[in-house]
Amino acid sequence: MATPQPRVQVPDTVAMGEVFQVKSLISHRMETGLRRDDKGDVIPRKIINKFVCRYNDAEVFSVDLHEAVAANPYFEFYLRATERGRLEFVWEEDGGAVYSLVHQLNVS
Amino acid sequence: MMEETGTVSLTRRGVLVAGSAGLAAVVLIPPGSATASDEAIELIERLTGRTLTESDRLRLEMPAVFPTGYTVPMTLEVDGPMTEFDHVRQVRVFAPKNPIIEVVGFHFTPLRSIARVSTRIRLAAPQYVVAVAEMNDGAFLMTKTWVDVATNGCA
Repeated sequence: MATPQPRVQVPDTVAMGEVFQVKSLISHRMETGLRRDDKGDVIPRKIINKFVCRYNDAEVFSVDLHEAVAANPYFEFYLRATERGRLEFVWEEDGGAVYSLVHQLNVS
Repeated sequence: MMEETGTVSLTRRGVLVAGSAGLAAVVLIPPGSATASDEAIELIERLTGRTLTESDRLRLEMPAVFPTGYTVPMTLEVDGPMTEFDHVRQVRVFAPKNPIIEVVGFHFTPLRSIARVSTRIRLAAPQYVVAVAEMNDGAFLMTKTWVDVATNGCA
């Protein structure tokens, strides 16, 4: 199975106080646990179950994902630029694996 | 006699062909009835343990008709200032006709995030998708939208 690849799109610079859009994507099959293989056995559930966005270590947005989130989970969300700093994006998978990305936010 | 048999066969085949053509006719599922809507709301009320107030402050945008149930676009937005005194804590989305009803939950932070998000979800069948927003004052707002998907995205 291919390693999930996370990707994030954030504007290059944002004005202080401005609302900006973030797009996040992670390649992931999101195996629901409802499908069966050719032998008839249930394919076990394996999904990304949580996505968190932290802004200078404070959680600003998060998602609880269940089986009905489509494969390659995609979120478009909106943050307010309050200070220069670090955006951290974390995806947690069933079984404990964690994928993350960091982005330095330029606030003018 | 042969002619009679021939006529009967043709007729029977004709009837069968006509019958199957009728069965094969495409039936567009009309937007959900009031009953379907009530059932969906009742189910979510039982799941969340809350009485839900339908509100147009909460908007759930989804296509009314979509060719696949595997990746249906969804946008939801809650009007409001997102201040300490007036904000959305979380929004949960439910698909009552899916094998697993709870789809996704979003947590927002006052002053830091806007209560708007877009994503893609799986739907097993045409149904009402229901969103429930929990406000900081304890109010639970609800909205629903009918989505007619052509394929089962949960299979």
